Amino acid sequence: MTAVLLPYLYTGGVYKHGLLIELLEDLGGYIIQKVVTGTEVNMIMLIPEKDVGLVKELAAELLGILIEAPLTGVEIAVVSPTLASHHLPHSACDVAEYLRHPGANTNMIGLARGMGRRVSLSMDYERRLINEHDIAVFTFGSFSDCIINKKPKLFEGIEIPIVVTGGPDLKTEEVSGADLYVGNIGRVSHRLRRKEEVDALDKLNEGVAKIVDGVRKQLAKDPLAVIPARIMKEIENQVPEINRVLSPAPITLQLDGLRVKLPYDRYHEKIEKLEFDEGVVLSELANISRSKMKNYILIKIKSKSDVGFAI
Amino acid sequence: MEALETFIVESAIDSETEFYKKIIEDNISSLKLAPAIGRIKVVLRPEDSLFQMAIVLREVGTKLSTIEMADVEAKPVASEIIISIKKEQYLSDLLIKLWERYGKANIRQPDRWTVAISTDRPLQEAEFIEKMVVADPRHTLHENLVDFAIRVTPEGFRVRYHLFKGNHFVFVASEEAMKQEWIEEAGAMLKELLEGGKTK
Repeated sequence: MTAVLLPYLYTGGVYKHGLLIELLEDLGGYIIQKVVTGTEVNMIMLIPEKDVGLVKELAAELLGILIEAPLTGVEIAVVSPTLASHHLPHSACDVAEYLRHPGANTNMIGLARGMGRRVSLSMDYERRLINEHDIAVFTFGSFSDCIINKKPKLFEGIEIPIVVTGGPDLKTEEVSGADLYVGNIGRVSHRLRRKEEVDALDKLNEGVAKIVDGVRKQLAKDPLAVIPARIMKEIENQVPEINRVLSPAPITLQLDGLRVKLPYDRYHEKIEKLEFDEGVVLSELANISRSKMKNYILIKIKSKSDVGFAI
Repeated sequence: MEALETFIVESAIDSETEFYKKIIEDNISSLKLAPAIGRIKVVLRPEDSLFQMAIVLREVGTKLSTIEMADVEAKPVASEIIISIKKEQYLSDLLIKLWERYGKANIRQPDRWTVAISTDRPLQEAEFIEKMVVADPRHTLHENLVDFAIRVTPEGFRVRYHLFKGNHFVFVASEEAMKQEWIEEAGAMLKELLEGGKTK
């Protein structure tokens, strides 16, 4: 049985942060993402539950901050009706940025024809792209009539949990098809920084974390054959080309899989043949397919009951 | 008329009115329209997919020619024209026009307040430059108003009607085919603004 891993975010100076990485490797934890900006470093990591104290001690010694990051390893689609100036950069970008604070990876998706009431619609391609994520956050406008009566048709065909943001103060039950509704984040033309707006964003993060918790619990009933972070580590070891990818998150973790930002045609065989110490290859444990996003590789891990064993 | 002396936003639900007022305020400030708008009224009817707006503008400046912002002096011997800037705020507009006419290679800026142009016909050209229109605040205002209208309208409302006449601006947008009565309603809003004065 593998140890329970807890997600944490470390923020501190670049100086000696390698010690932390070494410690984590010794403990059997994983570095999910490392971003160096100037003299600062942000690291999202998974730490074995019983060793959190050790890492905390070292972090304190290095004068860094270690905080819990409940959305680590979650890929969220922030869906805006279109990419016009009506929705961007505020509020859709603000929502996406705020969701990244607790560790999530967000992708902004602007629908081609999502605007309007009667005329809004989503395409099959867009729906499949959204379904590749763990959670979809739809950012809607200020009219309750639109949100209640017209916009829910955009949810058709979406199989992942749906979170909706909008201006009016509605109950989640009023928005059919949504798993959570968060008000006070409607259409705005300024940066969300007033107290009630930031409160609403906090509420959104809490709500999303709760949904993620639910999904994780569901997954725990029939665990994955291998945890995504382990595949990430193996890809980094066995496919060195991943180090030359310039995306901020070359391997993006999902709750039940990963997105590898390498071209599918050239690398999918290499990924399929990824070997583990236990003697199995990745294609036995997961479905590897072409992602709808930029020809990347999408890995969806099979469950233990499906494969018959877990490593 | 004071700037923004009347600012009315109407819709069936109060909280939505507040949201929308904020959107309109933000866009007025980002397009720097506040000094130009005297009275504005917006009516929202999302259930009918309808957005109506009427604006009464304040007096805006008239066209500005070079002579009002600078001294133009021809130097026939040196084949040059020297422009001494008096109002720097219009310098960029002037330079764009000059570059177009004479090319960047023929224009020097020895210092912040001087523009020198090399030309074969300094006398005639100096005369032309003096009368040239540098900035037309009305034209800029028109552009900004149309931009403003499109930015504040809900994005899906792509069927639009707009009227810009004198100091009056009427804008109606919808998702459905435009109805004559909507335009008339917006016209009535404008009339109300013209008569109403300080209603709020």
